[in-house]
Amino acid sequence: MRDSPVEAALSCYPAWWRDRYADEVRSLSAELRSDGRAASRITFDLVRGALRVRASAEGMPRVHDLWATRTQLSIAVATLPWLLVAPLVLFAMGTLRLHSAAGRVFSPQLTLIGSNSLEVMGRHGPVAAPPLTPAGWMVVDSSRALMVLFVGTLLVLVVGWGRLIGGIADSNAPQRRKAALLAWAPVFALLADAGLVVARVMVGPSRYFSSGRLVVPLNGDPTAAHALVQTFWVVAVGGWLVSIVCVSVAAGRAEVARSDLRFGRTVSVIVSVLFAMLLAAYLTWGIGLVVQARQAAHGTFTTVVTSNEDLWLPMVLLLLFVAALSALAARAAVRSWRVISVEIVR
Amino acid sequence: MASKRLGRTQDPTILVLTSLSGGPKHGYAVIKDIESMCGVSFGPGTLYGVLTRLEQEGMVEPLPTEGTRRPYRITATGASVLRERLGVTLAVADVAFRRLGQLGAS
Repeated sequence: MRDSPVEAALSCYPAWWRDRYADEVRSLSAELRSDGRAASRITFDLVRGALRVRASAEGMPRVHDLWATRTQLSIAVATLPWLLVAPLVLFAMGTLRLHSAAGRVFSPQLTLIGSNSLEVMGRHGPVAAPPLTPAGWMVVDSSRALMVLFVGTLLVLVVGWGRLIGGIADSNAPQRRKAALLAWAPVFALLADAGLVVARVMVGPSRYFSSGRLVVPLNGDPTAAHALVQTFWVVAVGGWLVSIVCVSVAAGRAEVARSDLRFGRTVSVIVSVLFAMLLAAYLTWGIGLVVQARQAAHGTFTTVVTSNEDLWLPMVLLLLFVAALSALAARAAVRSWRVISVEIVR
Repeated sequence: MASKRLGRTQDPTILVLTSLSGGPKHGYAVIKDIESMCGVSFGPGTLYGVLTRLEQEGMVEPLPTEGTRRPYRITATGASVLRERLGVTLAVADVAFRRLGQLGAS
């Protein structure tokens, strides 16, 4: 009977490694067990070895398909976690508002390219608000940077996704259609959401009677409209998550051309760099929030207020972990591509 | 205690090559040989991590299996690399012992 912890640890190794070494390692593990060595120690050593083999690909045969799959998986690991974490960062930032002793500061000017003048509503219309502290400006500027980085990275990912779709369409692989269906998942999710929005507009009330605080719909089905809005959010969040999984599976399985692999490698490097910049901007944002409170105590200032300040530290830790993972995966993609381009002649 | 704090100084690659330089051995024999040589006990994951790399770099080669065991043998490349690495280690050890001797004399 086979030793199940050892079997479980062996299953952590890549298939090429198991094909070559698993029988020998099984035999060696059994000998060490009969020698009195603890099963837990053997298993731990095997799992550590499996992680090392997976991370470094040491000893992996110079076969194009193996290295192409490794490159594709590395690209997926470097890029797709961003889609999970970046929206969480935006959520954790919450809504920024400006406050001063004179009341709420209106901020039509706090746009990405707007002027930096602040106004507060006085008795006879808008008047100049107290200035923001230097740290307050740090918060505002890092918020702008975060938005730019979010949009920029999303664009890079969309371009990379487009290239993946094109690469799958151009390939002659037998499972091309399956991979294409999986890769198109984000579009299906978007279409489902668009359908729900249209249905909500058609089913929901369009005319209301209002008297004071009382608002009564005059047509449509408010219950069905409410249900459609709930469904929209379930489909939006679920579709987003399912799309990430589907695209990662498609990216891992698809057989794409060398030029597409090279392109994907470049995308993964850009995304990992933008990820690091996102982390830096978010760190600056949180530090600015802490420092502005001290600076604001020494005068009359406008301060930045946000709803989810408590989420900053957990989000920084999460971002740190995922950004490091992205950087390591991008490095693996670069190295794998180098092996394909330099050492493997197809 | 102090020597423990200095960390592990034995390079697994050198230990495996040294073990195989005494003749072809399978995994269990390599582990036992290294244990008796310097008291370091490798696990199967560590040993096969080293063997995988050495085989890919052409420093060891597998021999036909004997039952469920497969012996490995050091190649000429492996022997040459081992000789070179041990030469450097010996030179460093030589300098270290001489300096320690001077330290003791003063």
